[in-house]
Formats: sequence, structure tokens, C-alpha cells
Amino acid sequence: MFSSLASLQPRQLAAQVLNFALVLSTAFMLWKGLSVFTNSSSPIVVVLSGSMEPAFERGDLLFLWNRGMDTQVGEIVVYNVRGKDIPIVHRVVRRFGGGSAPLQLLTKGDNNAADDTELYARGQDYLERSKDVVGSVVGYVPFVGYVTILLSEYPWLKTAMLGFMALTVVLQRE
Amino acid sequence: MHSSLVRIQNVFGYFTSVAFAVAAAVAVSVLLSSQTPSASLELKNVQVVKGRPHYYSTKREEYAHVKFDLDAGMRLAFPQPPPSKLTHPDLTSLFNWNTKQIFMYITASYPSTSPSIPPSEAVIWDAIIPSDHAPFHPNTYIHPTSKTPPKSKSKSKSKGKPYPEGASAGIVKLSNQKPKYQITDVSGKIAERENATLSLHWNVQPWVGALVWTNTKSYGRWSGLKGGADKFDFPSLKGSETIKKEDLKTETGAEKNRGSPA
Repeated sequence: MFSSLASLQPRQLAAQVLNFALVLSTAFMLWKGLSVFTNSSSPIVVVLSGSMEPAFERGDLLFLWNRGMDTQVGEIVVYNVRGKDIPIVHRVVRRFGGGSAPLQLLTKGDNNAADDTELYARGQDYLERSKDVVGSVVGYVPFVGYVTILLSEYPWLKTAMLGFMALTVVLQRE
Repeated sequence: MHSSLVRIQNVFGYFTSVAFAVAAAVAVSVLLSSQTPSASLELKNVQVVKGRPHYYSTKREEYAHVKFDLDAGMRLAFPQPPPSKLTHPDLTSLFNWNTKQIFMYITASYPSTSPSIPPSEAVIWDAIIPSDHAPFHPNTYIHPTSKTPPKSKSKSKSKGKPYPEGASAGIVKLSNQKPKYQITDVSGKIAERENATLSLHWNVQPWVGALVWTNTKSYGRWSGLKGGADKFDFPSLKGSETIKKEDLKTETGAEKNRGSPA
């Protein structure tokens, strides 16, 4: 393996590294472009918990849209609890406000017996559509996102995969 | 090693391309299925009492408790069917090859106190109706049957169906149904509000593709929902002596099968 690396001229090596960097930055720009198009900070999310079963199971991929600021009751929104970085995917069960007042929402998971009042930050009774909500679910692909759950639960998988990908890109002569 | 690696890459790449194409075709083909949903929803009883959000709360808010009749209906081919022909109303036409389940919910919406703010809305009842092909999940609706369930030790693990006997998924007939949730306004006062509306909605969850909500307008093969709404006013606050406790009971849904919430 190292003999093949040593036989590469510096220019070829530099080209391979540039190629790799181009792939990474294209992926990154596609992601950011989708973020801008949907106006959401995280336009594609993976379902992490079973609180929306049987609609969404763990590992499902959800596509979000954040340009509909007049969220209706029954829509499924992804929101962050204030002060924490965990996105939660639940359904809107109540709404107040809108128009000249900020729109306030109450959410509940389909598979939870109680609504989300206990999950919100202390002293917070409702979500604010403009501040807390990351986006509203418009489309869904089952099971494809389970890879990310595996990657986060087994961190060594992440380094192994990145290493493998880097190796294949560098060793390929084209 | 080099050639087998390339082969594996090719096979995997081809597999993902085909899977993606099939999923896209399934998701888009839903537009070709025809839907003719209709329903009849009628308010049976509404009362407003003072209550607390939970046992230890010091807030005393007004809660409205609504009972309703629901008949989920299908519009027949004739524009004006005589009443005797409306036999088995249902939302079955919403179930196509790409439907995993339908989340049906009934909301009560009432105008807000200020004209520049749109009406507030709250869900009072919901049910998850799975498609017949979906694998079983405990959090699905069990349609009440006319037979009263035996109270004692019959270990009937018979999973009730989400539709009445002899019907198919999408048919729902409820009479004097208790709600799952009671309505309260953020201001704490809901008595004597006028122009409230009870309406039926649904959310079709596909196997793959876009989620769809209620449509009252028609789009190509998808007819809008006919019926399924009822207007009412909230009555004045009732004293606690005149209310029967059992009138305020709510129904627990299938989520209770899960245990403590996560």
C-alpha cells in the first residue's frame, strides 16, 4: 500500500486531496443550499424516539419545510426544547395566536399519553412558532436514517467509515 | 480484491438507484388514486366547567367538554343521493396502495377576542386507523362495538378492529362519543364564546413520500371532504352542582398501551 502512495507524484497526490476536499465541500454546500431553500436549520432529520409510532419509527428520515409560518393543528413539527439541542418530532394539538400576535403551539406525540407540557422548558407552556420550531414535516422515507443512529451510538463506526472512504479515494488512480 | 470491490460497488449502486426510483414512483403515483371522502359530524353536548390543569396546579381555568356523533362518509356517484342510499359511509377511498395509516382528528376552533388574530384551534379527539397491510401496533384505534365488553376475567386478547364489524378501514361510526381532550383557552376563559366550529380532519401517512392533510377543495382525482363540520356556541359556565361527574369523563386513547411517556 505505501509503495503505491510513494509512487504518486506530489502533483497527483495534491490532486487527489483536492478531489476529496471537493467531494466534501459539495456535500456540505448541497446541505446548506437545502437549508436555505426550506428556511430550516436542519432540513432533513432522523427520528430518534418512538413517541410518534406507528407513524414514524426510529430511523425514519423526515423532510422539513419551514416556510409555512401559519402552522395548523395536526401538522407534525420538529422543535428544540429551549436550552437543549435535542430535536423532538411531535404533532401540533393546539394553537393560539397568529396574525398580529406570535403563534403559540402545544404539541403531543402520537404514542404519548400526555401532551408535551412536561417536555418544555421550566415555565414554558407553549412553543413559539417563530423561535422554537425547526420545521414542519412534509415528506418521509422509512428506515433510511438508521445509519445515523448507528453512527451516533457506536462512535468508532464513524472513524472507521471515514477512514475507509479516505483510503478508497486516495488509492484509486482516477 | 480490486475487481470484486468494484463489483460490489456496482451492485450496491444499482440497488440504491432502483430503490430510489421505485420509491419516487410510488410516492408520485398517489396522485392517480381517486378519493371521495365525506363525513357527518354533529355536536351532541357541550358544557363548560371550572377545572385545574392537573392536581397540584393552583390555576383554575374553564374547561369545555364536548360530546359528538361522527359518521365518516363516502360520497356516491350521484350528486344528490337520497338519504336511504347513504349506507356505509367511510373514508375508505383515502386508503390507497401507499397509505400506511390515517390519523383522524376532530378539532374545535373558536375565534379569538381580537379581530387581528385568527381563530384558536384545539384537538378534542384523535384516532390512528392503520391500513390492513400495516404490521400490528398497539397504538391503533379500536372501534367501539355495539356489544358491551364483558367486565370480568375474559382474557380476550382479541385485538379489536379499527372499524365496525363487516366494514373496512376508514369507516367510523360514533354516537355520543366522549372526547379525549378537553378544551381550554390560553386566557383561562372559554364560556360564552360564539361561532365555534367542530370539524373533522385527517392526515394520511404514506409508506413513502409526502404527507397529506385534509382537502376541502378538489384536486384532479382527489375530491374534497364533504360535510364533517358543525357550528356551535360555548354555553355559560355551569355550577359544579348541576354537572354529573360522568359527563366530564374523557376517553383514553390507545397511547395508554405504551406505559410511561418517553
